[in-house]
Amino acid sequence: MASLGSFLLLASFVVCSYAAVVSVVGARRHARRLVESGIGAFYLVCALMTAASAVMVNAFLTGDFSIKYVVHNSDSVQPLFYKITSYWGGLDGSIMFWVFLLSVFGSTAVYVNRERHRELIPYVVATISTVQMFFLYLMVVHNNPFTTYLSGPRADGDGLNPLLQNFYMAIHPPSLYTGFVGMTIPFAFGIAALASGHLDDSWLRAVRRWTMFAWLFLSFGLFLGMIWAYEELGWGGYWAWDPVENAALLPWFTATAFLHSVMVQERRSMLRVWNVVLVIVTFFLTIFGTFLTRSGIVESVHAFGSDPVLAWLFTAFMVVILVVSFGLVIWRLPLLKARNDLDSWVSREAAFLVNNWILLFSAFFVLFGTMFPTLSEALTGNRLTVAGPFFNKWMAPIALILLFLTGVGPLLAWRKSTLNNLVYQFMWPAIACVGTAGALAALGIRVWASGICFSLCALVATTIAQEFIRGANIRKRNTGTDIFTALVGLVGRNKRRYGGYVAHLGFVLILLGFGGMGFNQDTQVPLKAGEDVKIGRYTIRNTSVKVSDDGQKQMVTAYLAVFVDGKQIDTLYPAKWFFRKHEQEPTTEVAIRRTLAEDLYITLGGYEVGAQVANLEIHVNPLVNWVWMGFGILALGTGIALLPERMYSFALARMPIEAASTTALTLLLAILFAAPAFAQPGMGGDQNTRTSFYARTDFEKQMQREIVCTCGACGHANIGECRKDACGTSHQMRGELAALIDQGKGHDEIIQAFITKYGSEEMLGAPIDKGFNRLAWLVPYLLGASGAAAIGFAAVKWTRKSDAPEDNAAIDSALEERIDDELRDLD
Amino acid sequence: MTHRYIKIGATTAVLVVALTGLLWSTLREGTEYYKHVDEVMTNQQAWQGKRLQLHGHVVTNSIMRKPNTLEYIFKVQNNGQVVNARYTGIVPDTFKDTPGSEAEVVLKGTLTPEGFHTEPNGVMAKCPSKYEKKS
Repeated sequence: MASLGSFLLLASFVVCSYAAVVSVVGARRHARRLVESGIGAFYLVCALMTAASAVMVNAFLTGDFSIKYVVHNSDSVQPLFYKITSYWGGLDGSIMFWVFLLSVFGSTAVYVNRERHRELIPYVVATISTVQMFFLYLMVVHNNPFTTYLSGPRADGDGLNPLLQNFYMAIHPPSLYTGFVGMTIPFAFGIAALASGHLDDSWLRAVRRWTMFAWLFLSFGLFLGMIWAYEELGWGGYWAWDPVENAALLPWFTATAFLHSVMVQERRSMLRVWNVVLVIVTFFLTIFGTFLTRSGIVESVHAFGSDPVLAWLFTAFMVVILVVSFGLVIWRLPLLKARNDLDSWVSREAAFLVNNWILLFSAFFVLFGTMFPTLSEALTGNRLTVAGPFFNKWMAPIALILLFLTGVGPLLAWRKSTLNNLVYQFMWPAIACVGTAGALAALGIRVWASGICFSLCALVATTIAQEFIRGANIRKRNTGTDIFTALVGLVGRNKRRYGGYVAHLGFVLILLGFGGMGFNQDTQVPLKAGEDVKIGRYTIRNTSVKVSDDGQKQMVTAYLAVFVDGKQIDTLYPAKWFFRKHEQEPTTEVAIRRTLAEDLYITLGGYEVGAQVANLEIHVNPLVNWVWMGFGILALGTGIALLPERMYSFALARMPIEAASTTALTLLLAILFAAPAFAQPGMGGDQNTRTSFYARTDFEKQMQREIVCTCGACGHANIGECRKDACGTSHQMRGELAALIDQGKGHDEIIQAFITKYGSEEMLGAPIDKGFNRLAWLVPYLLGASGAAAIGFAAVKWTRKSDAPEDNAAIDSALEERIDDELRDLD
Repeated sequence: MTHRYIKIGATTAVLVVALTGLLWSTLREGTEYYKHVDEVMTNQQAWQGKRLQLHGHVVTNSIMRKPNTLEYIFKVQNNGQVVNARYTGIVPDTFKDTPGSEAEVVLKGTLTPEGFHTEPNGVMAKCPSKYEKKS
């Protein structure tokens, strides 16, 4: 099988080169058949890469330990899920996965745009093929993932790094890769526009949605990395300005800049050179980020290890990208002249321009900070490092300016805002901002950074709310519907604008969470059993330190009682787990008490079981959960902006008047019901649950695995596993199970008894992986996605019945214009 | 038109100067020298008082802890040069001095005549296994 895989990669390389050459020749000679042939070859690469991926996944699933990559990244006892994710767990496989994704995205983009942007397609195919060729070349000559042992297969693999055997870590890389790889598509269209000279704004329309899609996944990837660091690494924070984190952040800055400046080009035909350059820089930074991770040029916990050959190959490729891209830009400068000038600095385009400068500056600043140790060593011979505080000192004011622009930019008029317009738009937000600042000052809260951040959050939130309320009111008046329907209709009329506002709201919440960092408290103490330590409003008492073993790992757990005002409010169980085969690298199991106001975050740094001492690291992190929720809302907003235009407007045109408000209410209720699932820190139970009712026999163990806890807070772990959060429900259920077994009941009788008692079959299930417990965090995303899916489904359904949808669309576009004008001209 | 270019040029110049100045001043307080133990110990006077990230290996059986506290004294060496280090706080799991698995550490702090003073959270163990073993 390994040789088949190698052959497929080689074949992909050959077909890729054919596609690249034939497309360019076909485009220059206007030979349609050559171009078609290039497109066909391009699709073929996608098929070949899919086949190669299938071979790889198959090798992991069947445990083909003759392949080095399989041996290094998996073993035979690994769960199925992680066997599949091992595909991208190592260096070689991740490059292959990269090419696979690129071939799929590329083929999709070409297929979708092949008629509409016919003149660009050959160059798009050539560009993407060239990028693929580079990565395929890497694999064929240097990092072949299908390399086998000459000495014959190994008995078993080394296993995937335990830190990577985590749900977030399994989906974090593919999400980031999707973001990174997705950025190649806009780049390819940009290069195609430059090469073909079709530099009107049509190429932008082709890539706008792609960029948004890639940006969404990039943001999601960053979010997953943060939440993983927070919950698994146990140092109390989520962002450490590690070089590899920075590498993923760099293209995020420039892509965000592009998403905004693209609007200026669409509306005002300005910034045309700027946009092309942003697309090129974004793509370059994705390659550069990959280079940082793979070459070992910077010191980082994420780095794959150093590899000078790879570093040189990447450097050469990056030089080629820069020379070719900027060469094309300079060659085409005459065609890229702006058609308008900036009329006033008090205009939306000016705000966007400033936003772009700041984002670009952020990118260069982070790049500078990341490369500083390497640069200083090269220049002076002394390796100088910069740490988190340096980045924070710079990025805090930058983030505040961005936040300010988030509020101000969208409310300024294009071209020039009049004074009346400014008063009309900014009276309430300014009042909210000053009011918040005043209230914070009165409460004695520190003003610098955090205080300003909170005030600006109030400002931006008010502007967004104002936009929604005013828009909905106008629409309500014009269409005569209720306010909910008007609101949904409003969003549907202008999804990009209102989706953008929702995304901005997410950004506000994220910054609100960042602002909370100013009030972080932490301490490190050795705590004997019976002793107390005070931090913030909490008093924490060590009840005991215990060792237990579940067969897979040994667990050292500290039992901590948490008091507020002398009343016990919770029990927390920070622990260290020593997995079999990985005893030298215990995992840190963080105990977190989550509330919307703050997290109490405790890790067990060390222990002495004999003396009952727990060395604790305790953090109080205010407002952290708003960061995660902010990401959810950001994703929701981007999702709204991404929804296919026509589908949504047809749906709304056909929608019965009550439907919108019903849907909105249902969604609202669903969110309200879902909220406790992650707002609640866990069920308060008695302290003995962890040790309660350990399985005495194999039969009892099996039964504990089959029955799922119904407490609702644990994400349906089975009752054998739902011990971590002091769950009273599972304690009780285990007790009932033990009693039933003592009565001599058999398997089916017990199941029947549980169904009778708890009323449904919900609680029966297969054992669920630990990482899946954290799926609760996906709830807002799933809600967003299912809402979107429901709307889409309804759209399709209603469209079918429609006879003359065009009429509706025409009326609606007129209506939309009127709303927009009314909003602008109300002054 | 030329007037406009002067304005743009002047603004850019002011911004660049201001940012470079800020960058320079923040860099001076934010940076740390990354050095191996032997590089520093062969020229102690020069490095005393400077913020350092010191790279070395924990000396076998050298870690001592004051009972019931988080105060540690230990020795770190590289290429035959040894330095005494002090630290108060939680240490990483891989911070060990048992024969055969002595930790490779990076310490943040300053060198004093009495030894290396490690700042809070200043002990970083170099991870023995990265994502992938070096082949």
